[in-house]
Amino acid sequence: MYSSVYIALIAMTEVAIAMVLLSLPLNIAPVVVGLVTFAVYGGDRLADADTDAVSNPGQAAFMRRHGDVMYVLVAVSYALAVTLSVLGGPLAFALAMIPGVFWVLYATDWMPDTGLRVRRLKQVVVLNSAVVALAWAVTLTFLPLAFADAPVTPATLVVFGYFFLRSFVDTEIPNVRDVDADRQTDVATLPVVLGVRRTRHVLYGVDVGTLVLVGYAAVAGIVPLGLSTALVVGLLYSVGITTFVGRFEDEELLAKLPECEYVFVALTLFTALGA
Amino acid sequence: MSSASLLTAVLLVTVFVGTTAAFLAWRERPEPGATALVALLVGQCWWSVFFVFELQAMTLGAKVFWSDVQWAGVVVIPVAWLAFALEYTGYDRYLTRRSLVALSVVPVLTVVFAATDDLHTVLYLDSTLVVEGGMAVLSRTPGVWFWVIAGYTYLLGLLGSIPILQFVRSDALAFRGQSAALLIGTVAPWASNVLFLVGGSPLPGLDPTPVAFAVSGVAYLGALTRFRLLGTSPSPNHRARRLVFERMHERAVVVDSHDYVVDLNESAAAALDTAPHEALGRPAASVIPQYETLPMDGPAEGTLTLPADDNQYDVTATRITDSRGRTIGRVITFHDISDYLRQQQRLEVLNRVLRHNIRNETNVIYGYADLVGDTAGSHEADIIKERALSIDAMSRKARDILDVFENARRPVTAVPLAELLDQSLAAVRADYPEVTLECGELPGVSVSNVLAPVFSNAIENAAEHNTSANPWVRIDVDRDGDVVHVVVRDNGPTIDEYERSVLERGTETPLEHGSGLGLWLIAWGSQIAGGTVTFAENDPTGSVVTVEAPVLSEATPPTRDPLAVAGDDDDDPNAASGDETTLSRR
Repeated sequence: MYSSVYIALIAMTEVAIAMVLLSLPLNIAPVVVGLVTFAVYGGDRLADADTDAVSNPGQAAFMRRHGDVMYVLVAVSYALAVTLSVLGGPLAFALAMIPGVFWVLYATDWMPDTGLRVRRLKQVVVLNSAVVALAWAVTLTFLPLAFADAPVTPATLVVFGYFFLRSFVDTEIPNVRDVDADRQTDVATLPVVLGVRRTRHVLYGVDVGTLVLVGYAAVAGIVPLGLSTALVVGLLYSVGITTFVGRFEDEELLAKLPECEYVFVALTLFTALGA
Repeated sequence: MSSASLLTAVLLVTVFVGTTAAFLAWRERPEPGATALVALLVGQCWWSVFFVFELQAMTLGAKVFWSDVQWAGVVVIPVAWLAFALEYTGYDRYLTRRSLVALSVVPVLTVVFAATDDLHTVLYLDSTLVVEGGMAVLSRTPGVWFWVIAGYTYLLGLLGSIPILQFVRSDALAFRGQSAALLIGTVAPWASNVLFLVGGSPLPGLDPTPVAFAVSGVAYLGALTRFRLLGTSPSPNHRARRLVFERMHERAVVVDSHDYVVDLNESAAAALDTAPHEALGRPAASVIPQYETLPMDGPAEGTLTLPADDNQYDVTATRITDSRGRTIGRVITFHDISDYLRQQQRLEVLNRVLRHNIRNETNVIYGYADLVGDTAGSHEADIIKERALSIDAMSRKARDILDVFENARRPVTAVPLAELLDQSLAAVRADYPEVTLECGELPGVSVSNVLAPVFSNAIENAAEHNTSANPWVRIDVDRDGDVVHVVVRDNGPTIDEYERSVLERGTETPLEHGSGLGLWLIAWGSQIAGGTVTFAENDPTGSVVTVEAPVLSEATPPTRDPLAVAGDDDDDPNAASGDETTLSRR
């Protein structure tokens, strides 16, 4: 759990969902995304091992104990992802670089000392989660497209919007667990700024927004009804998880549950396709 | 597998290894050279990635485009290599913001010329598609600027290799491995680029340099992981040696084999009343007084006075030899011994005062007090005589201390321990007949003669201050390997804790000082003899002074019987308790 392997597997599932929704042929995009996800999340956990010691001591201890091995795995993963992405051409290469570039912008103090006060994106409310969501939505949607050399269609934009909104929710729910640590490290998240209850309401709003988008796509015939239904199943699961925000004692588990939405979507989707 | 597929596979390996190495180097920031190495590896990966896209492109326009994009990575490599080499080897003072900007002018112009390639023929005169090995490859005729950037790249590559070359023969295995790997990583793409430029490439239209980056990546990766490149680097060496030379207390001048000054530190320049830039290159005889009288190697006789002050200097010449043992110069060092000489003079004066003046004066005081006592029979005369004797005793101890320190400068003389203790006991027995002196069996060993006043004072203190109704002092000696423990016990009052704390601290102040010189003499004497002294309380009363001293040699066993046997059971002198004060070994 601490090594971020499960997040990489879920990211691969998301790419597979995107490929089904966009009717793309089988390619290595899920592998590339899985490697990039493992590298970015692993790298982030290594970088934040000290601050995570407050909110997630088990994970921080794991990262400290296996720091050297994890760093080599992160380096090899990203290098392999970049290498494989070259096979997909310039666009695939650029898309594979995006999460890494955004991660650097988002999480690290890489800016040279210019005398200007530059805040890490991680510290700016809403923008931090939006940047993460944008990076993942672009990669999840367009990387398989680039590998398949397929054109951008209205369905592509719907899938992009879906993943953007879902990734935003997936990013903000774990922030509820990290309120104390984020406050100490001057990171402004929705729970830090609005409080847990109002954060829950905002996330309900995002869920409803996603439902409207999926409904529109189904009604307009952009996404077939069967596939839309699978997405709605995932959304219902997400709403269920959102209701637990601030009400569930095991915040560690709650932080991981949103990602499982895609497992339900994938199962529903492949059941529907099989049928 | 076709040539294109094989080439692409090798290039992908290059990208993979290079990216991994870049990540590993990135983690080592801010180690010297880490950022530059990352830039170098990113430049190599960039070149390789866009070379793949050039190979994959189907049209001339697309191939030209990707070929031009490659330049952004190509031009980073020589600048990053030089920056890395300078930082890694400790020459980073040459790497200023200004020098980096200056170094980047040619690369930036190259990228501009590549971006505007279709508007001029500065970088390339002509671009066509040719078929090599069954695949269509881009063939470009170099323009003037191509040779400028090629020459510039080679020049920077060479400049960067020079400081790294010196570590190929380093004594440290890690630095040898690092520098060898770095040079292999640099030479591989150079060699392939030279092959391409002279037309020796297997595919004449194709620059195989990015392919050779696979070798570079593996070499750099090996240097990072196997030889801990950036984990340990020689960068401080260069500066540290200069720093030590500059900051050393001694004044130092380096002269070559022709007796010209080639280097000197700031303190030497100040003492010689010259500026470094004025002294460098001048004959040593015109800079150093009495240069002709200095030895070729070793210490000079007598002392020297330098122009800037009246201080006295010890001068030493140290020969500098090359790897074949030939003399290539000398280091002349000047050690200021003025303080030492003044200290010695002070000791000589004090010694004379203690030995003669105070003794004479106290004798006179004692004599006159005696006369006054004879005629007037006054109690005051007795007090004056007692005080005069006390001053005499104190001056004697001060002389003993001076002798102890004087002995420390001479070769150690081994004296049988039994002989030392016999002398001490005899003297104390004569002065304090009312005190019972006992001594256990003595081992046949010899110790430093410096310990003579130590034992005398320890036994005398125990006897002199013993106010017990039945005073006794007992000496026991235990041998433990190469050391002996001489334990002096008494049943008098314990040594005051305040006195012990002053000894522990090692210094006295006008407000915090001991009451006499005896304990200092015991402490210093023990330390100079290479041992320690411990003070403890005896049970039920009294003091235990333990002197631990190294055995210098075996001596003839004592022929006499112990002076006495151990005391009675009621007043066991063997027990020790309470706080202990240990004065550490020198």
